[in-house]
Amino acid sequence: MSIVPKETIEVIAQSIGIPNLSPDVALALAPDVEYRLREIIQEAIKCMRHSKRTVLTADDMDSALNLRNIEPIYGFASGDPLKFKRAIGHKDLFYLDDREVDFKEVIDAPLPKAPLDTAVVTHWLAIEGVQPAIPENPPIEAIVAPQDGKKMDHGKDDSLPVDLKLPIKHVLSRELQLYFDKIGELILLRPETALFKEALLSLAKDSGLHPLVPYFSYFIADEVSRNLSNLSILFALMRVLKSLLSNPHIHIEPYLHQMMPSIITCLVAKRVGEQVSDNHWAIRNFAAKLVSSICRRYGHVYHNLQSRLTRTLIHAFLDPSKALTQHYGAIRGLSALGPSVVRLLILPNLETYMQLLDPEMQLDKQKNELKRKEAWRVYGSLLLAAGSCLYDRLRLFPGLLSPPDIQPWKTNKKIALTHLPNNKRKASSTLNSHQPPTKKLAVDPTGANSQFPSTDGPATSSSCGSNPNHHHSHNSSNNNSSSAGNITNTNTNINNATGSGALAQRMAGSAVLRQAWKEDMDAGHLLSSLHSLFGEGVFSFIQPADMHLFI
Amino acid sequence: MEDEDIEKAVLTYLRKKGLKLTELALQEDQSRVSSDASHSRSQNVADRYFDGYSRLRSWAYNSLDSYKHELLCVLYPVFIHCFMDLVAQGYMQEARTFFHTFREDHEIMHLRDLQKLEGILSPSHLEEMELARISRQNKVKIRLCQSSYGLLQQFIHKKCLDMLGVINQINFEVTPGQPTSISDDSEAVVLVGASQDLAREINQKELHWGLLEDSVEERMEKALSDSDKTEVEGNKEGYPEEINKVKKTDGNKQGTSFSNKKKKDKAVGATGKTTRSETSMGSVAPRVKSELTGPQLPPEVELSKFEDLRNRAQLNSLALPSVSFYTFLHTRNGLNCSAISHDGSLVAGGFSDSSVKAWDMAKIGQPGRASNSQGENGSMQGMHSLASDEAKRPYSLLQGHSGPVYSVSFSPFADFLLSSSSDNTIRLWSTRLNANLVCYKGHNFPVWDAQFSPVGHYFATASHDRTARVWSIERIQPLRVMAGHLSDVDCVQWHPNCNYIVTGSSDKTVRLWDVQSGECARLFIGHRSMVLSLAISPDGRFMASGDEDGTIIMWDLSTGRSVSPIMGHNSCVWTLAFSCEGTLLASGSADCMVKLWDVTSSMKALKTDESKSGPTSRLRLLKALPTKSTPVYNLRFSRRNLLFAAGALSAGS
Repeated sequence: MSIVPKETIEVIAQSIGIPNLSPDVALALAPDVEYRLREIIQEAIKCMRHSKRTVLTADDMDSALNLRNIEPIYGFASGDPLKFKRAIGHKDLFYLDDREVDFKEVIDAPLPKAPLDTAVVTHWLAIEGVQPAIPENPPIEAIVAPQDGKKMDHGKDDSLPVDLKLPIKHVLSRELQLYFDKIGELILLRPETALFKEALLSLAKDSGLHPLVPYFSYFIADEVSRNLSNLSILFALMRVLKSLLSNPHIHIEPYLHQMMPSIITCLVAKRVGEQVSDNHWAIRNFAAKLVSSICRRYGHVYHNLQSRLTRTLIHAFLDPSKALTQHYGAIRGLSALGPSVVRLLILPNLETYMQLLDPEMQLDKQKNELKRKEAWRVYGSLLLAAGSCLYDRLRLFPGLLSPPDIQPWKTNKKIALTHLPNNKRKASSTLNSHQPPTKKLAVDPTGANSQFPSTDGPATSSSCGSNPNHHHSHNSSNNNSSSAGNITNTNTNINNATGSGALAQRMAGSAVLRQAWKEDMDAGHLLSSLHSLFGEGVFSFIQPADMHLFI
Repeated sequence: MEDEDIEKAVLTYLRKKGLKLTELALQEDQSRVSSDASHSRSQNVADRYFDGYSRLRSWAYNSLDSYKHELLCVLYPVFIHCFMDLVAQGYMQEARTFFHTFREDHEIMHLRDLQKLEGILSPSHLEEMELARISRQNKVKIRLCQSSYGLLQQFIHKKCLDMLGVINQINFEVTPGQPTSISDDSEAVVLVGASQDLAREINQKELHWGLLEDSVEERMEKALSDSDKTEVEGNKEGYPEEINKVKKTDGNKQGTSFSNKKKKDKAVGATGKTTRSETSMGSVAPRVKSELTGPQLPPEVELSKFEDLRNRAQLNSLALPSVSFYTFLHTRNGLNCSAISHDGSLVAGGFSDSSVKAWDMAKIGQPGRASNSQGENGSMQGMHSLASDEAKRPYSLLQGHSGPVYSVSFSPFADFLLSSSSDNTIRLWSTRLNANLVCYKGHNFPVWDAQFSPVGHYFATASHDRTARVWSIERIQPLRVMAGHLSDVDCVQWHPNCNYIVTGSSDKTVRLWDVQSGECARLFIGHRSMVLSLAISPDGRFMASGDEDGTIIMWDLSTGRSVSPIMGHNSCVWTLAFSCEGTLLASGSADCMVKLWDVTSSMKALKTDESKSGPTSRLRLLKALPTKSTPVYNLRFSRRNLLFAAGALSAGS
């Protein structure tokens, strides 16, 4: 009847020295106990309200008991609300985590730090009704309008709000200076620590960092040029940039022109890092991502941002005198800008570039192993670029993979897999002659792709095996066979044995590609041509959903 | 009785004869019959209430839309009375199931009452709990239109006779005409009919809400208009000269007013009561004479006031104020209240560890604050030297209370600080000496609130003992005791003309008291939970009150009517403040928001259709200013219309 069960009453009775309370008495007492409890809690709520709190604490209960002249309950006083733990295995049973404390431990333990004394700080919650974006204020959802934001942010140090309307003297508050120094120190000395991660988080989230942006942009530009050989610092700088870019409270556009060169340096520098073994690829990749995110976010504001960027990159890409590392960076940067950039700028030049690249990749032609590896890297990045372009096309034109084609493919599957590469190639070429669209596919790609060292490349032979199926189904059984051939090719070619053969294939592939470009309108054709050029490596760019459709 | 006698006779007969078996059988039989009867009876009664109520409920819900609202109003009192009847008759179990089954319907309107009533588990509790006792003893009054009343009567007589007893607990006031469609909140909230009558009666009284005659503001206005005139005339006099002029005229006036007041003082001393002076009905704001004798302002204070008035930023819905926020750090949930002096230079906090701490913001605040240099230099210097004598604390620690401090209040010129505590006392501190001057004992329970009057010298307190008291700082006994609230008095506020105080209470009402007579002059019913904050507009005509649920209600003091309430916040409204011209209302809440409301537009609407009944206009939200997890404890507009806010940063969230 009452919320308080009679067992509780019995337990309480026992605890105060009444061992055998009759159940009737307990039952009769229960409602009254509940009533008193409620009364006291209601009083306690009053005390809570007058303490301007919304959470009931043990102190409130004590004050409520005091109001009724009852002795308070000792041992629960604490400034914070009590923390209850849920008993394991019970849904609604909670207990206080009250551990036994060893006296000796307490005595031996060093004295804890004295708690900080109460203090009062002031800040402007609003100035003429507008909340300034200072750290003391909660973050505003987004900066409303650029000009508005500028006006708000420029002179805004928490200490100098009155200067707002005067000609602005740019004065950094001491806190901000400290903050800036600390971040700089972290970047240069301890970029690997957890503290640095926290700092990045703070850079990405805190409002009120705006006054520091020019300093940061200068700092980054300076340090990048100075530390080109130190990968970890470069990386740290790029991450700081990324955090700043993602901070919604910073109006960063005016500083973009200062930041872009540093990023592009990281992207296409000839040498990054001290030793050749350094993983400078990673920082190039990171910079590429950064570049693309900037273009996406500010492209519409800076209408010539992307065009200038692509011009720089394509220059690097097309200049044969540049090092392969620079080519790599340029390709990564271009591909990060989106599939359409790849389609317009990389693909048309792919063929010529391949000619250039190819000798570098061959064991017999390029003796320097390092150079050869670099060439493979470049190749991988090209594959990635073309592949993401393919993915994009596929997404845009899902109708390309038309169901009717499934049937023939299925029947041929077995054969395809059993075919030897050479046969297949022959078969495909013959078929191609009657079927123009399939021709492109048939151009048998290049085992090149399979030669590509699998560190970066997504394809493993097993995944390839499943992927080709559906990819091919969209054109004809013919294609299937050829792709399956590719697989076998890959397997055999992994040891680079068939260098020259691959070259020939590649040449053929580029011819098809050119053809594909002529009929650019037909996206489906483009797709197949891309596939044929890069082989099964491309398949990983096809959405699994699409695959299922055809398996 | 006869049956029992016969049974007894039979039993004794059987016993005599030694027929033990028969006797046992008979006894068994008897007990079974009686228990059956009682069981079925209890079942019956409980079921009757249950069925009756649920039938009435479904009928009310299915009634025509035009009558529905009125009929639904009937449900709540019926529900409460059914529940209490069940408890009174001892069917605790049934009462509880009944309560829980239908509780949801009323939770929106009457959550607080339900929470209280839920605890009632035995007839004795009904007697003990005030709310239950009052509502059982008094009849609820519900206004119904004729046709709904007819419908209800018909239904009760035909289908639901069981409920007749309960329905009779309600006093129906049948009005001719159309059924009302919108809920008249103030009527629906209270269970006790008597209080409504009381309110109506009380609110008939005459109220002189106008501002004081001969106040500084008035003189200021005059002076300003004079100076305007002179400027228009073409005498391009510099401002300094202007001020000098004002000062001169001031001095003259002051002399005369001073002598006036002295005379009055004597009168007060002799009779203890002054006859109420007739109000001068000015065109804009009527002026009234002060019934309290206030202290004289030193001339330099008046001058600084003039300066402030001259430099006051004009606020309206387009020109919003600047808000300076004082955040208390490292309070560890210990800060109970805070106060800010009129110029923002002093900030005080009352803590649950019985201490009061006062900060001199001019000392630790940043340089270049425009608002700091407002004539408080003397007190600041005093604080300086003393603080440096003590350990290097940035604040002055005022110790003396022996329980949590629930409110602090600065005197108008920040030379005194008042604190009230759960140790039943109020203490007066000097901010110049950093010392306790007086301890006022009189309340028997914790003192929730203490507020200095706008002229200083007097203060009002509100306590758990259900009284509000008015004191003067020079006597240790209260001058007036205002009794009448049915529960704790939680907050108190002075009317700008000092002739009235308003109190908010846990009984969900706000009362306005005449300081001179100590009588209740207005009773405002409409809140649904405990009233936590009050503010009166500077022209003395309107009052805003905020409650535990986040509702803010504007009241017209003269009529006692409310502008329709708004859910201003998601949580307790701790504080309210009007801007100096009364154009804006600022509210601060536990939901970490400062909100600014447009008063003028809504009040204009109220003034224009004053004749029409029914509150239609609402406060308009101008701006919501969120803080970073800092509940807002205190708000104050400086005389130059800078808004100060204070709160303790709540850790953990």
